[in-house]
Amino acid sequence: MNKNTKPLQKELRTNLQALKKALPAEDVLTYDFQTADDVDCALIYADGIVNKELLGTLVARPLSALSLRDYKDEQAKATAVETTARFPELKRKETLQDAVKEILDGNTLLLVDGIAVGFILGAKLLPNRAVIEPPTDVTVKGPREGFIEDVKTNMALVRKRLKTPDLRFEMHSVGKRSNTAVAICYLDGTANEQALQEVRSRIAQIDVDIVPDSSYVAALIAPRPRSIFRCIGTTEKPDAFTAKIAEGRVGILVDGSPIALTAPYVLTEDFQSSEDYYISPFLATTFRALRLISLLVAILLPAFYVSVQIFKMQLVPLGLMLTIASSVQELPLSPSLEMFVVLFLLETLKEASIRMPKYVGMSLSVVGALVLGETAVNAGFLSTPAIIIVAFSGICMYTVPNFVETGSLLRWLFLIVSGCFGPFGIILLLAFVLTYLLTSDCFDTPLLAPFSPLSTRDLRDSVVKYGMSSLTKRPRIFQSKNKTRLRVTANKGTDND
Amino acid sequence: MTNLLSTPSNERVCSRQIAFFAAFVLPVYKLLELPSLLARFAEGDLLLPALFQFLLQAGALLALLYVASRSNQTIIERLEKRLGKWVKLVYSAYAAMFLLAAVLPLLDLEKFVYAAFYDTSPTLFSFAAFFLFSAFFCCKGVKALGRVGDVSLFLFLIPFFALIVMSLVEADISNLLPFFEKPLYASFKSATYTAPQFIDVLLLLPLIANLRFRKGDGVKIATGYTAGALFTLLFLAVFYGIYSTIALRKHYAFAKIAQYFPVLSVVGRIDLLFVYMLCIVLFFFVASPLRNAVACVGKASGLRSKTLLSFLVNLAAFLFVLFCNKYYDRIYRFFGNYLFPVFWAFSLLLPLALLFLKNKGENDA
Repeated sequence: MNKNTKPLQKELRTNLQALKKALPAEDVLTYDFQTADDVDCALIYADGIVNKELLGTLVARPLSALSLRDYKDEQAKATAVETTARFPELKRKETLQDAVKEILDGNTLLLVDGIAVGFILGAKLLPNRAVIEPPTDVTVKGPREGFIEDVKTNMALVRKRLKTPDLRFEMHSVGKRSNTAVAICYLDGTANEQALQEVRSRIAQIDVDIVPDSSYVAALIAPRPRSIFRCIGTTEKPDAFTAKIAEGRVGILVDGSPIALTAPYVLTEDFQSSEDYYISPFLATTFRALRLISLLVAILLPAFYVSVQIFKMQLVPLGLMLTIASSVQELPLSPSLEMFVVLFLLETLKEASIRMPKYVGMSLSVVGALVLGETAVNAGFLSTPAIIIVAFSGICMYTVPNFVETGSLLRWLFLIVSGCFGPFGIILLLAFVLTYLLTSDCFDTPLLAPFSPLSTRDLRDSVVKYGMSSLTKRPRIFQSKNKTRLRVTANKGTDND
Repeated sequence: MTNLLSTPSNERVCSRQIAFFAAFVLPVYKLLELPSLLARFAEGDLLLPALFQFLLQAGALLALLYVASRSNQTIIERLEKRLGKWVKLVYSAYAAMFLLAAVLPLLDLEKFVYAAFYDTSPTLFSFAAFFLFSAFFCCKGVKALGRVGDVSLFLFLIPFFALIVMSLVEADISNLLPFFEKPLYASFKSATYTAPQFIDVLLLLPLIANLRFRKGDGVKIATGYTAGALFTLLFLAVFYGIYSTIALRKHYAFAKIAQYFPVLSVVGRIDLLFVYMLCIVLFFFVASPLRNAVACVGKASGLRSKTLLSFLVNLAAFLFVLFCNKYYDRIYRFFGNYLFPVFWAFSLLLPLALLFLKNKGENDA
């Protein structure tokens, strides 16, 4: 038997010694005080993450005035302590292991001499940042709240938007050393049952030391962990998260991470922004189509440029072909090597600008974009069209921020095959990627749905976005039991109004 | 006995996917070499042999759908019950047939790739990359074939109609008139010569054999096949409308058919982008018989490693293309002149033979 699973004793000193042994860290403090009839009490907590003022006001002061001599048996004494402390979050724990876990979670343990029970006081006061707009998902219209690193706050942000008893949070603890709180969030009766079971079982199977971020959970529960395409959706916005939950998905909130996870995930999610639902459907459709085209341009344009130069000049009009030819005629590098160098420069600049301090960023932009680019062209190392194409490709990539990592990798692959096989290689790799996507199912949902398998109803909210009154049913691909999400009873209006 | 033919539930396909496969995947190969072949024998009557072939295939397809509709079990399940271990022979025969059916599409694709994707003279090994894709595709189950049908809706319709619209500028459909100008024998010769191009039922067989038939499925699939036939006939009409008497010399016409569209002189050959888009479907088409061959070899031999089988089949196909591409004309003549009975037997007669398949241990649906 684990030594920590032994029950708490009646003698306070014995318990404190056992706790000291189990928690030798110096930031675990003990505050000793006595009741009115000189019974020893102790509050044990981790320093810096509890509200000491609350403990003093609601626990230490009232208990100092309590006389336990009036109560005969242990049970009565325990009830008297609970009644006197009047703490909003109070529960009993009877083993040393549970007590240790609660202290490490940021709660406070109250021990009273003569009572073989520990009282857990929810006096957690963790340092948290404010709920602000997430930098990765900025919207012009719509809510601006974003998730933060505290799971309880994040749960509250979800509960604020889904005031229904069907909203369920299942708490799990993941990470042998970090004991990170993970909340599975779903709408009972609406969520995809199979996905829910799979998420539950995969989370239960996680055996890892620490979970510093939700990306760990995403990687560990992903059905295809080695895929370059992700299997789990992510969002930092509570409004998008609740909308996904309401569609029948299962959500996962991880303590310490502002990124919430959703499953099942389909590829079209990446082309949708929460703002699409707050603007006219025509505009939303236009923006989604723009994102899709931009992404294709971002991935394929450098490869296309190389294959045009080497293998298939006919693809560009004569005038443009002559301009390109005049730009590249003196270059010492082959078209594919040139594009490789420029793309490498872009990726390096991108990586450096993310990591370096902000005040150095401006200098980097000047050095990178102006000095390096301009000088390289003037020196005859690189051509202007190559720099324009890579810059445009870089900009286009960020129209779909969730796809940047995968898109960048694909761009390299397409560049390599275009240098080797020309447009044939590009089309072949497209067919290859398409085959991979066609046959990839995550949490029993096809990645390429609703295009394949085709679901005409779900196409209404894919690249195309219909008006709200047309989205009466939940997406078929999530196999929700509760199919209807909107009943249109009001007059839809006429064009002649 | 090991259940060789049992199909796991995730392997299922639905009638919509089969209909889309028939409508959008099957016609794409017929846009390559078939138009010039038909024009060579039948000239302005090129629609007649095509129509004759479509009717033959449609008859076999209807028979196959009738067989599928007679039971609530799939055709494969029933064959397994009926034939027992002899079913391995059927698989072996069809494995060989699928490999045979892949020969002309592979040779045609190779020539087409060199013509449409390169201004320069590529090395022979450039086409080898296709077999990497094919090997990957061959590892996938019949579910992948069904989903290819779904996604081909977008990949076929957009470029096909874009190319047709762009080519209509130059098309003179009256070139097809008068009908029946050539003797019927020419049309029949043309039909037999192009039999290896019409492997529709053969390619639909693995899909329909895995289909658990429901009411209305037959109509969907038949409609899909009709749509596919109409797309082909439309293309043939436009093709002959443009090239008329020189049509027999216009190989791989669908890459060139829209090149006279006036705007292209200003914006470049954007028609090629549509051609390339259509090529994705073409790659799926050409890889399909190889995939089916891999599946049949797997079932016949009992080997479970699809990766190994796929590698071996594709390696064999690559070596064949590598060494035999210079005999392209001879192979074409041999297939056209002598092998049409084999193609008709496997794609028409054997599906008809399934009509005699009685249910064993199960009442008719």
